[in-house]
Amino acid sequence: MTLQDVIERLDLKVLTQPANFSKVTPTGGYTSDLLSCVMAGAKKGAVWITLQAHLNIVAVAALLEMSAIIITENAQPEAATLNKANEEGVVLLATELPSFEVIGRLWEMGLR
Amino acid sequence: MRTDKELRRVVTDADAQNISRVEELSYELKVADVMARNVQTVTPDMQMIEVLELFRRTRISGAPVISNGKMIGIVSMEDLVRAMERGNTHARVRSYMTADVTTMHSYDSVVTALETFARTGVGRFPVVDETDQLVGILTKGDITSGTLKALQEDYQEEEVRRYRASHLFEDIVSDRTSLILRYHIKPRDYVHGGQASSYIKRALLRLGANAQLARRCGIAIYEAEMNLIIHTTLGGVIWVEIESNQISMATIDDGPGIADVTLARKAGWSTATADVREMGFGAGMGLKNIERCVDEMTIESKVGEGTRLDMKILLLPEESFRETS
Amino acid sequence: MRLKDVVQIIEGKVLTNTTNLDREVEGGCGADLMSDVLAAAQPQALLLTGLCNPQVVRTAQMADVAAIVFVRGKQPILEVIELANQENIPLITAPYGTFELCGRLYKAGLPSLERRIMSTQDE
Repeated sequence: MTLQDVIERLDLKVLTQPANFSKVTPTGGYTSDLLSCVMAGAKKGAVWITLQAHLNIVAVAALLEMSAIIITENAQPEAATLNKANEEGVVLLATELPSFEVIGRLWEMGLR
Repeated sequence: MRTDKELRRVVTDADAQNISRVEELSYELKVADVMARNVQTVTPDMQMIEVLELFRRTRISGAPVISNGKMIGIVSMEDLVRAMERGNTHARVRSYMTADVTTMHSYDSVVTALETFARTGVGRFPVVDETDQLVGILTKGDITSGTLKALQEDYQEEEVRRYRASHLFEDIVSDRTSLILRYHIKPRDYVHGGQASSYIKRALLRLGANAQLARRCGIAIYEAEMNLIIHTTLGGVIWVEIESNQISMATIDDGPGIADVTLARKAGWSTATADVREMGFGAGMGLKNIERCVDEMTIESKVGEGTRLDMKILLLPEESFRETS
Repeated sequence: MRLKDVVQIIEGKVLTNTTNLDREVEGGCGADLMSDVLAAAQPQALLLTGLCNPQVVRTAQMADVAAIVFVRGKQPILEVIELANQENIPLITAPYGTFELCGRLYKAGLPSLERRIMSTQDE
């Protein structure tokens, strides 16, 4: 399953610069809104589901080399967050769905 | 209100009050609340005569049979009688016990237990917890004494409750009656954060507020309380005025004050430190949450002087505290 | 879904005493931001969270949350359990992360029980 599949199946909005998402294969999923937990628990290449939208999420995702961040509940990142994400090559995706629902659908698609 | 729609007995009003409380209790009380703990157990290799001795000594009439930490049966006075009739008092427990034991769960309600007693006609049940560990034993007698005990404990509370707090607004005559609650909130007191809000929510329920109204007020004042704890220099005061037709709540502090109130009200804007964020607060959603819950919200603030947050909830006619429930 | 089933699906352990495991939960909500819970969780939701401080219990009480699941086997301090007992809010700890636990419950048929909020028109 590629990131492109995820974007299509969940109808996610791509907030950062478009790229060839069919070349990215997420290694798994991770959910937490607490940055320290993410730092401790998330794996390289994972998709991170959170409703945090502030600048710090970009640094964490870049550090852990995550495939993408899915920002839930339509939380809106500031321009500074988007700029930084584009700079660092971090993919930001957005949805209106709550985290629980997003996780459930990813799980159904087979992402573990 | 009543969970039991099938009350078929003909009763007087006075009876109804008492009966319904006992019946309510049978739903509220759990097996764990009434069962006997410190269960006497026997092993399958004990002789029936030893069991008889144990029963005599401890004045019980049945005991679970335990082998290697697992319950494999139950032995009762009836089993003893059978053994004695056949002159087999030296037989092993294993040959006279009932092996196929029905158990109850500690978290089952007493009413479930009563149904099981009625359905099976069995006199006692071993009680197990979530992990199937034996934690107690239950007889009908335990239910009776447990319920009586709970009724007694309940009595005083019931007396107070019978005089519903909402009568306040009917019994006291004035042009404008209100009830004022005040709480002092200490800065950085994260451990007790929310306690005042919890008291306020409970007071509203006590006054007869419906669950939705109590929830709205609770959420708004909790966010405001956490703001006092997180941001203020010296803490602050929560002030709640309850009237029959509206609830006014305010938090007042004397610093540090908010530089740009418009910005502070914007979703996602926050001055909270990383520590606070890691506690699950400071995401810049608090004021937005409050706004959603109340009918009117105003903030007055001056840097160096302090902040006053006012919240008002107007009650719908059916929510009014004046109405009796 | 009954709490009993939830405990089984997530391989959880109940931390509070005399918890009624026949209690129904109507849906799930996964969140670590308490304001998010207050804003979005609907009454009688099951809350899955990575936090285990007293504020989680207080937040649950304010938002009428049905039960709290602590993820990654987190064990709250005794005071938190006591507070939950007092306020009659069941606490469960489960040995997996939020992603896995939400996934399992969703697959088992537990719907999401969060309101959609924070739309851009909200300003």
